[in-house]
Amino acid sequence: MKIKLIPNNEQDLSKVFIFLLPLVVLLSASINFLKDAFRSFSNVLPGNQVLNYGFLDKLSNQISFNFLFSFILVVTVVYLLSKSLGRSIIIFPLFFLTGLGLIGIEFIDVVLAFISPEQLLDLGNTSVLLLIKILLVGAFLGLILLNFLAKKEPSIFLSSQFLLGAVVFYLISLLIYRSEYTVMSDNFFINSMYMSTHIYVGCSFVFLSIFYFLITKGMQATLFSKTLGTISFWGYLFLLPWTGFKYFYGTTLPDWIENVSIYLSLSLIIPLLALIVNYSKTIATKENKEPVFSVLISFAFVVFGLTNVLQIISSISNVTPIVSLTNFEYSVRYGYMYSLILILIPFVYHLVPKIYGREFIYGRLETLNAYLLGTSVIATLSLNTLIGINSGFSWNAGANAGNPTIYGEGFLITWSLISTPYTFILFLSLLFLLSTFLFTLSTLKAIIGGSVTESETVSEISGDNDE
Amino acid sequence: MSELLAKVAEILGAPETLVQRSAEARAEASGNTVEEVLQSWAGGEAIAASAPAAEEAPVEEVKEEVVVEEAPVEEVKEEVVVEEAPLEAMEKVIEEESVELKKESSLIFIAGVLGVAMFTYFFAFAIPKNQSADLVAESLNNEVVVSQEVLKGAQVYNDLNCQSCHTQNVRLLIPDSQNGKILKNKFANEIIIKNTGLLRLGPDLSTSATREPTNNEKWLTRYLTDSASVRDTIPHPNYDFLSTSDLDYLLTYLLSLGEVNE
Repeated sequence: MKIKLIPNNEQDLSKVFIFLLPLVVLLSASINFLKDAFRSFSNVLPGNQVLNYGFLDKLSNQISFNFLFSFILVVTVVYLLSKSLGRSIIIFPLFFLTGLGLIGIEFIDVVLAFISPEQLLDLGNTSVLLLIKILLVGAFLGLILLNFLAKKEPSIFLSSQFLLGAVVFYLISLLIYRSEYTVMSDNFFINSMYMSTHIYVGCSFVFLSIFYFLITKGMQATLFSKTLGTISFWGYLFLLPWTGFKYFYGTTLPDWIENVSIYLSLSLIIPLLALIVNYSKTIATKENKEPVFSVLISFAFVVFGLTNVLQIISSISNVTPIVSLTNFEYSVRYGYMYSLILILIPFVYHLVPKIYGREFIYGRLETLNAYLLGTSVIATLSLNTLIGINSGFSWNAGANAGNPTIYGEGFLITWSLISTPYTFILFLSLLFLLSTFLFTLSTLKAIIGGSVTESETVSEISGDNDE
Repeated sequence: MSELLAKVAEILGAPETLVQRSAEARAEASGNTVEEVLQSWAGGEAIAASAPAAEEAPVEEVKEEVVVEEAPVEEVKEEVVVEEAPLEAMEKVIEEESVELKKESSLIFIAGVLGVAMFTYFFAFAIPKNQSADLVAESLNNEVVVSQEVLKGAQVYNDLNCQSCHTQNVRLLIPDSQNGKILKNKFANEIIIKNTGLLRLGPDLSTSATREPTNNEKWLTRYLTDSASVRDTIPHPNYDFLSTSDLDYLLTYLLSLGEVNE
């Protein structure tokens, strides 16, 4: 196995990234577990500037939603963009440097968080590097646009469409996060828009990009309908950025924007239905009969679908006041992130033979891991949803009865309803950490010790073989 | 029929479903049965092409299927070239499919995506955010004024990320103390604004200084440094690692809640 530190083309670069990706996922799962442990047992665990729930929450956001996200984004763009545009990436050295810079700056943010914890913002990013990050994402977007303009395929494949959408909204989210806080409502404006553009749109678009690639190329199936794919694309692009405001229902946000958010969230049913039909019809023509591969894709799809359903449920007028400012939003935020991690696993399994020329064998370990991952993720989302509804219901019921459960002794009632689910989440977090470790193990085992098979050539990766 | 289909699929190296659809399209265009078409592809005689007008229909039907993500169709294309003569008819259908690939302009697509992004940025964020600031500017008594000590305490609160569990949204001035709309839209320091929080896991702290026991400095000091000794049923972090001055600032800030931001 040879990995070049300075890659010459997409294949070399993909080699480096695919090798490191499972390790970044493992890091993210570890910090997430540590955070959950300090949430449930903060009064008994030893605390300091770093080991406390407040800091670990910010660190977890930085690692999962920024470092890991940018890593996955760059890997996906490097491999899928050239493949779906039918040509090698133009100005590759610059592309390589920008991608590396983007991952590097997110990593520096992680390091800076330890050196100067007060610099780290609530949802990740340090204020000092935000401007440089904006410039890098802008440059990365510019290079992607140049490649789009120089495409050789007559049509624009769905994978590349979603990638472009993800990068555009990544840039928008960073611009939003740099805005000034002047009045009280700015807290909700800035953070809800950042969450919906960076996490909802960003994670789901990278997910959909990999998803469309895997259900066609990976499953060796024929896409049922490009039109339905296009409906999903434009639907999500227009609707998702507006869906975050409803979780701040009843706050100082203007009523009209809360209402628009509710109606547009309900409309998510349209792109979701288009996606479901396209998936089920496409998958019916699959030639790849590997069950573990299909199971992993199905779990990722179920988690993504479930997250969308939660978005729709939370826009029902009776439910909205209950779920605002609760863990319900956590389910949605992590739902998009988890679906991305779940789809990443079959993507990496699919790429190992292509990139490294090593056979990937789906054994018992991979089968067990697929079910472990899927069930732990779905259970975590369900428990967060339950906590959200329990908290909201308790607060509202308490307020109506004249005995507020939002604060003071009354809060003990709320806590009695949500403490057990939190303990279960900690256990599930451990299972998730274990499964990411198994994923790392499977990948590295295949890369290092897998039997030699035929890998893709550079021209095949870039799609030049079609000419 | 299915055996024949499988045989043709094997010869072509293409998925059976694709072969089936192509055969149906060819059959409809040529006026023959699907079986005859398959027979010809399997090595029998090629079906004669029908009139150009009739060719239109299958192309329309196949077009949807052809705009695929990546390989399946491309694989067929390669195989067909290799298989040569007996597959003449199939080759022709595939060629038609390739020709019919819809051309999409990158420029229009990019403009569309950027257009939606700009629209979202301005109409969901920039304009309403500015409108809120304008509304506050026009109102009387529109500023939150706090002392330097309180501000330093607010900074400690923010650095510890207390706002990841505690909100400061519920105000007593308004009888409805549900999840609450409540915080008046005033100009304030950035840290004061951020401390209002986004998600509530622990109690709301907006009026904590007006209630027992959180209005008691000694109780609060003990709770912040050794929470289990005061209340062991709810896990709360211990901030015994804070310097004395930072802890004092934090206490000052917490004891001011309920007086500011109203």
